[in-house]
Amino acid sequence: MAILDRPGYRAGMVLLVAALVLAPVWLGRFIFLLNTIGIFAIGACGLTLLTGLTGQISLGHAAFMALGAYGSAALARAGLPVPLAMVGATALTCAGGMVVGLPSLRIKGLYLAIATLAFQFLTEYALIHATGGVGALSVPPLGVGRWVVRTEVQFYYLLLCVWLLAGAALANLARSRVGLVWMAIRDRDYAAQVLGIPLLHYKALAFGLAAAYAGLAGSLWAHYQRLITTEQFTVGASIDYVAMVVIGGLTSIWGAHLGAAFVVALSQGLKIATPALTAVVPAFAKVVIPLREVLFGTVLIALLIWEPGGLAMLLRKLKRKVDLWPFAY
Amino acid sequence: MIEFAASGLLNGVAVGSIYALIALGFALLYKSTRILNLAHGELVLFGGYLAIALAQVLPFPLAVTVTLLAAAALGFAVERAIMRPLFGQPLLSVVIVTLALGYIVRGAMVGIWGGSTRNFPPVLPAGVVRVAGIPLQAVGVYSAATAAVLLGAFWLFFRYTLVGISMRAAANEQLTASTLGVSLRRVFAYAWAFAATAGAVGGILLGLWLGVNFALAHVGLKALAAVILGGLDSIPGAIVGGLAIGVVETVVGGYIDAHVIYGFKDITPFVVILLVLLVRPYGLFGTEHIERL
Repeated sequence: MAILDRPGYRAGMVLLVAALVLAPVWLGRFIFLLNTIGIFAIGACGLTLLTGLTGQISLGHAAFMALGAYGSAALARAGLPVPLAMVGATALTCAGGMVVGLPSLRIKGLYLAIATLAFQFLTEYALIHATGGVGALSVPPLGVGRWVVRTEVQFYYLLLCVWLLAGAALANLARSRVGLVWMAIRDRDYAAQVLGIPLLHYKALAFGLAAAYAGLAGSLWAHYQRLITTEQFTVGASIDYVAMVVIGGLTSIWGAHLGAAFVVALSQGLKIATPALTAVVPAFAKVVIPLREVLFGTVLIALLIWEPGGLAMLLRKLKRKVDLWPFAY
Repeated sequence: MIEFAASGLLNGVAVGSIYALIALGFALLYKSTRILNLAHGELVLFGGYLAIALAQVLPFPLAVTVTLLAAAALGFAVERAIMRPLFGQPLLSVVIVTLALGYIVRGAMVGIWGGSTRNFPPVLPAGVVRVAGIPLQAVGVYSAATAAVLLGAFWLFFRYTLVGISMRAAANEQLTASTLGVSLRRVFAYAWAFAATAGAVGGILLGLWLGVNFALAHVGLKALAAVILGGLDSIPGAIVGGLAIGVVETVVGGYIDAHVIYGFKDITPFVVILLVLLVRPYGLFGTEHIERL
């Protein structure tokens, strides 16, 4: 718990966990919001690891999520118990991520971003063809034997455990030897190599783990939605992921969670507000999706210009203010 | 078979010349500002949508002129409002900013004009033209001819005008150019205006041919494949790449589409991108990047 270095923050953390545990009480029927946020936060953790810590830009994160979702669905439909299918799909995506990451030795920066973008489109195409042109697949619910998750609240508690574990794993990974190596690669990979770091090993590891996070998120998403289509994993979703980690704060371990909460709350909030607003302004229903895109773009640009550290940096600044209060220095 | 290949070749060159024009905007912007504009497809979309909306109320040539001026203004505005504050920021920020810009432009276009396909009023003669016995769509031939003329005009512009020369100078060696009195800010602004205009022209030409809907934004990705193939910072490369992508897409993609698996044509550009990146990341004519500590 050395990350939480002050009693106040420890109390805050306890409060946060308590609020999350008691969420079904105070959120009521809106608990699906937290379910969605949790799943995307797990996926975004992977992108924080890959882009924030290791400095490899990926515009194909949703493709890994799709691999996890379709893999898990296929394994579960083949008769494997669902938890095993999820583990299998995550491992599969991890291996896939390593393979996709291999070219990152030769191509980097912009070119890598473009290559992952191409990977995203090819995966979409392959999935549509593999599922017979529609891309839709029904998925069995989460559960073991006769015990099956039926309600949103049951799913929420399962998800919460996975979410906390995934977040804690990332936080600790970032502080470990491996995390430090990744940061060295991010800052200058040639220099890191000169210092004796095997680039292939660590870049492949970063891609593999990032893909595993996305795959886990994908398989959770599949068993949560019960019906998956390729439309859920388009390049737009990939860019949403990038938006999440940037809005949340790229190099912060809290970034993925804050960003996922922000992005999901914004788009779901628009969706929830649509009926009420349509009653007043009938044209609103037609522009809600374009409006979401415009809002997203504007928030992203504003943040990148004025606060490149994202929400996590804003939070840290607030923390500093509180620490130093009532003296400014 | 021969006829299929020949007609594919001609059609490919026709559509490829439009891709080349769009790719030129890409390459020039990258060459002079080191920014890869992932919103380029949305600039194409912008040109198509605006021109079609204006063509409903204005005579066609006037609508095109206004659209091009609006595109140039958009380019200037983007450079001034978004890119200048981000000067010197890490690569990722710049990439994401262009993505976000694409979101905004696409959202605004679809929000204002809706997502269904619209068509220009018939300004170009319809029907079929035969070139050496091979039937081609007349609209395609005229669009391709226009694209070729514009490519020539752009070449003259860079060769002989002061702005064009200073842009080439800055693209070649930024620091030296700026010591010799080239205003880099102005060059960056012109580069953005130029990229937006080239995109808009491409949007209008493709719109005349295929109609305008939001799928037009994907053309930006085909132009991306073209510049990757030609080399990101090479202007002749963009033209060769554009023609090559047009031909590969029509001939190879069309063949696989018809005989092997359906829908392959749409992803040909990405297969090309992956192959080029794996074999020759700097493209056919791009400068090879050598890294030193």
